[in-house]
Amino acid sequence: MKNPHTWRYVTVQIMLVVFGFSILVQILRIQHSAEAKAILDKDPGGGVQTFYPARGEILDLKGHLLAGNKIVYEVGVDLQVLKENEYANANTIALAASVYLDLDFATVLNWITQPPEGLRYIVLDNFASSDEEKALMDLQESVKDKPRDQTLEGLNSEPHLVRTYPEGSLAANIIGFVTQEGVGYYGVEEKYNSLLAGVPVKVWVSADPNRAEELPNIPPGATLILTLDREVQASVEEILDAAMLNTGAASGTVVVMDPKTGEILALAVTPHMNLNEYSRFKEIFPGETPFDRAISQAYEPGSVYKILTMAAALDKGVVKPEDTYWDSGINLIGGVAIRNWNNTVWGQQDMIGCLQHSINTCLVHVASLLGNDSFYSYMQKFGIGHTTGIDLAGEATGHLKLPGDSDWYPIDLGTNAFGQGVSVTPIQMVMAASAIANDGKMVYPHLVHAMVQDGWQQNISPQVAGSPISAATAHTLNDMLAISLEKESSNSLVPGYHIAGKTGTAQIPTPYGVYDSSTTNASFVGWGPVDDPKFLIYVWLEKPQTSIWGSEVAAPVFKQVVEKLVVLMGIPPDVVRLQPAGP
Amino acid sequence: MNNISHFVQKYRQASWRVQLQWLVLFVLGLVAVALVAGLYLSVSARAALTGRKIQSLEAAIRSGERVNANLESQLAALTSAQEMKELAIAIGFYPVDPAEITYVPVSGYAPPPAINMAPQETHSSAPVILPEYTRSLFDWFIERVPSAPSEAGGQP
Repeated sequence: MKNPHTWRYVTVQIMLVVFGFSILVQILRIQHSAEAKAILDKDPGGGVQTFYPARGEILDLKGHLLAGNKIVYEVGVDLQVLKENEYANANTIALAASVYLDLDFATVLNWITQPPEGLRYIVLDNFASSDEEKALMDLQESVKDKPRDQTLEGLNSEPHLVRTYPEGSLAANIIGFVTQEGVGYYGVEEKYNSLLAGVPVKVWVSADPNRAEELPNIPPGATLILTLDREVQASVEEILDAAMLNTGAASGTVVVMDPKTGEILALAVTPHMNLNEYSRFKEIFPGETPFDRAISQAYEPGSVYKILTMAAALDKGVVKPEDTYWDSGINLIGGVAIRNWNNTVWGQQDMIGCLQHSINTCLVHVASLLGNDSFYSYMQKFGIGHTTGIDLAGEATGHLKLPGDSDWYPIDLGTNAFGQGVSVTPIQMVMAASAIANDGKMVYPHLVHAMVQDGWQQNISPQVAGSPISAATAHTLNDMLAISLEKESSNSLVPGYHIAGKTGTAQIPTPYGVYDSSTTNASFVGWGPVDDPKFLIYVWLEKPQTSIWGSEVAAPVFKQVVEKLVVLMGIPPDVVRLQPAGP
Repeated sequence: MNNISHFVQKYRQASWRVQLQWLVLFVLGLVAVALVAGLYLSVSARAALTGRKIQSLEAAIRSGERVNANLESQLAALTSAQEMKELAIAIGFYPVDPAEITYVPVSGYAPPPAINMAPQETHSSAPVILPEYTRSLFDWFIERVPSAPSEAGGQP
């Protein structure tokens, strides 16, 4: 029997099939439509992005921030938006950029209306400050409802970090600086650039949210904790600046080191600049001016070098403190007569007297007793003529001529004995002197106390660079230097504290091979307290005007630094320190 | 009995019933496809939304880190050595002279140690990766199998 309603069912079936089929057709049509193609073309689907980690911080020993990061903005224009607007607001954007970003109106207008072929985005300012960016974005918001030609549509900003130095010029010559390109120059910033900068990570970032993936962890660069104490550094810089003003010196250097560990507690040199204004670098450091004289400028140190000659002679056993020398004011070596400063004649002196009066002829005699082989062997053990390996960029080697070298003459043994004809950097002298202050053990000077990376802190252990002299020799020379300072009633003496040290006044060699007698390098090296040294200080003033003598210009600087140090480091006077503690 | 067989036969042979069954099956199939498509659409929409949220949160983290670094630097500038010195002088402090200080010996006193920003890097405190994350299924299986006696033989 035929159902009279069959046609209805068939009709419904056909309609449903047609409906389903039409859905499929529509899906395919949409997928292959011009609009879909436009969307796919417009969406780049993502791309490889490079994520730069935040540059690691630099802190002082107590955690004060010396180098950090701050937000600046990349301000740019989306040229695609501008093109869609038919460049209606190009003038407005150029005007806003000229007012708020201090850019030239015509240049900006040219950039955004006639960009290079294929460019979709143009950067107007990569380092706009927060204030500039805020003012610009506030303006953009306030004009968004105005006629199109008066809006800032297409103007974008993107934040990023750049280096900043909260302490300004403090420890500038140690820290160095980072350029806008993110490259460290000088000091710690250059030496540890790779560690501080971290490792950039390249990641495929999809614009399709369906394919969004968690970004890998991008750890910031390593944080460095320096051995510096900012209070000590600030005080030493203040003392040095005052000394420069008072003496009229051409330049100045003060290095303070812990002679037991090699940790640099302060390092002040001139000139120094505000690191946030590094664009003034060439103005502040014209020509060949070294960024950090303490490590980069070698000079003939003069009589401070005598402590090394005497240390070698005592250690070799060729002299004892009580040995005497008759000074006639002249001593012949290599066929050349060596004289004392101002042709002074000191008569009979023991070795302490030789150091106290800084008698050149006596040290020539001592070096002669040592002989070439021993003298230069000791000087090399003290690290003279080699870099110290301090963790700062740009260290110089100095120059120690050796027998057999084409420029070495027999007279050099005599002149080298009192610090002439040999060039050293202040940091080399500091390292060499640490052997005398530290029981014969010479330590590597260093500035990084610890590194913090990936959640772990790695402390840098002190390292002994060698033992050029015995502990007994070091103790003997310590006593000799302390006695000679006290007998001399030196300007370096600090009431209540037993100090050892030596002055230096060196003539400056001219390019013509003779010495300029009118100008000097005034130096002082000293440490204390003698029985348990906590600090070793090196002072160098180049060409002081008020006095040529190290004892009159460099020794007082040493004294002022010690007076600050004992307070800031909490070092009580000897009479208190050496008394037994209470119950 | 015959009536029942006849009824069943008549019922089975009704073409409109067969067509109705096919129609219902087709509609059911269509509903099933629609359900699956709807479910897919819902899940993919939620995935897209979550993906976008992840991107936003990552951007927020990066922004937070930048703001944190910026504030840290601002704080450091406000408490710089020069600022603190000027502030101290303004409120009446002055640099102390060593002669003004009275030291009191205290037995067992140790100066404060240098800053520690993170645990010291030592081998003993290195993070330990649990074997569950490094052991293969085969290793696990071998461990679970009771080990055979290492030497053959036994008591005489």
